[in-house]
Amino acid sequence: MSSELRSIVNIAYRDIARFWRYKYWLAGQVAMNLADILIFGLIFNGVVNKDLIPDYVRFVTPGILCLSIFISSFSIGREVGVELRREVTQYLLTLPVRREGLIIGRLLGGAARGLVYQFGFLVFASIILSPPSLEGWVYVLATSSTLALTMSSVSISLSTVTRDFNLQATVRSLTYYILFFVSNIFYPQKVIAARLGPLAPVVDYSPLTMATNIYRWAFRYDASINPWGNFAGLGAWSLVIVALAYKLYIRNLLRD
Amino acid sequence: MPIPHGFKAVLRVVEWDLMKLKRQKAFIAMRTAWFIIQSLVFGYAISRIARPDIGVDYYKFYLLGLYTALLYSASIARAYIIADEFDDGIIDYHLSLPLKRSVLAAGRVLGGAVSTLIFTAPMMVFILFLTGGLDPISFLISIASAFTFSIGVVSFVVIIVMKLKSTDTTDIFFGTIDAILVRLSSVFYPLPIIKALNIPAYYYSALFNPLTHFADFLRALVLPEYFLLELSPAQSMFYILGLGIGLLVVAIELFERKLEAGGVK
Repeated sequence: MSSELRSIVNIAYRDIARFWRYKYWLAGQVAMNLADILIFGLIFNGVVNKDLIPDYVRFVTPGILCLSIFISSFSIGREVGVELRREVTQYLLTLPVRREGLIIGRLLGGAARGLVYQFGFLVFASIILSPPSLEGWVYVLATSSTLALTMSSVSISLSTVTRDFNLQATVRSLTYYILFFVSNIFYPQKVIAARLGPLAPVVDYSPLTMATNIYRWAFRYDASINPWGNFAGLGAWSLVIVALAYKLYIRNLLRD
Repeated sequence: MPIPHGFKAVLRVVEWDLMKLKRQKAFIAMRTAWFIIQSLVFGYAISRIARPDIGVDYYKFYLLGLYTALLYSASIARAYIIADEFDDGIIDYHLSLPLKRSVLAAGRVLGGAVSTLIFTAPMMVFILFLTGGLDPISFLISIASAFTFSIGVVSFVVIIVMKLKSTDTTDIFFGTIDAILVRLSSVFYPLPIIKALNIPAYYYSALFNPLTHFADFLRALVLPEYFLLELSPAQSMFYILGLGIGLLVVAIELFERKLEAGGVK
């Protein structure tokens, strides 16, 4: 392994290892995601019009897979924010690692956290829905990896925009609302599209709609979905976001 | 009649907190955007998929729950501000001022609650307008109950932040508790539907949750057709009032007896 690659792996490994330091946070997040499936899903099963969505728990489960990736991948952003505030970044810049390697390592570390965290939820989704076929698993793994890298990049780049703690937390929440509520995770695409009128295509091309579509197809909730088209769209989003995050992180890292 | 010195000092601390509101333009803009997305996008869409026969217009039910969640989150956000002040040594500076600890504690809690109320008042007006409850009496009662509720939450925040003394732990703790308490309440789902799930732990958590009391109090006030009440409005108001006063007393006590520069000993 080249020394540059080893540095990237070391940095990513450090971020994964730090993930386990927040045991209580992790336990709280897992409980909340499960509550989202069980409580939100079960209660809404009693509230939702069955003509539109026959079983809300099954409907919302693929979206919760996206949510689990979002929460865990975003934890890296919180740490990057704290590092900036405490000027730990100065220490990171003195490490014998190229800046490109440092940033790639951080992005991959955040993505790995997302994948580790999501594993249990994939098992859960296989039980609530139906286990995917071999091809379905390939799509699920590719989607989860791409989404985790995208979310980790979004989170890191947003956290470097401001050093204000309160503002960082607010930016994180606002991003959550924009990404999750303007997608087909909680309601069918046509319902949200009707609300947005001429802005309806925003929902179709949202990275979370595309990822949810792939999960719905893979876990056999909706066989009519074209997984390849959605994955191509998600991949395009990922390329743009990772490139932007890379630029933004390196710029803010070097800013006084 | 002259204003007592202690009260004047509390007002100065409250004023200091309010001055900070002016510097939070980006924060206010983002929270407003967050509110618009929740009320006009998520609220609308989720109410379109709700059954029409659940006993209440779900959109109106949701909007009043949304205001509760917003007021609660904005009050909780004081935690981030106070944790930041700890980090920057501002709390240490406050402790060195010629002010009684009780005045400082009461001023910070009341200042936090007033800031939160000013920040959420336009959203309350908007929601009352959408739900058809924008008459002067309802508005004044809503403001008074929101203020009492916010005093309770800000006092809770002050107590916890003084104990944690860390921005990192504060972020994790409040991020988690924020989401958990909203879920374990009737903010977004009617209490009888939670009861019908037959999970007693969940039902009783929701029943004793202050968010449930505040949200259902607002609903009883604004939606006369709302009959899914498990609690009487008077019970809810006494609960919120008791909690607000009780937690304020604990926060003052903590400031007076335990707080030293650098956090709680």
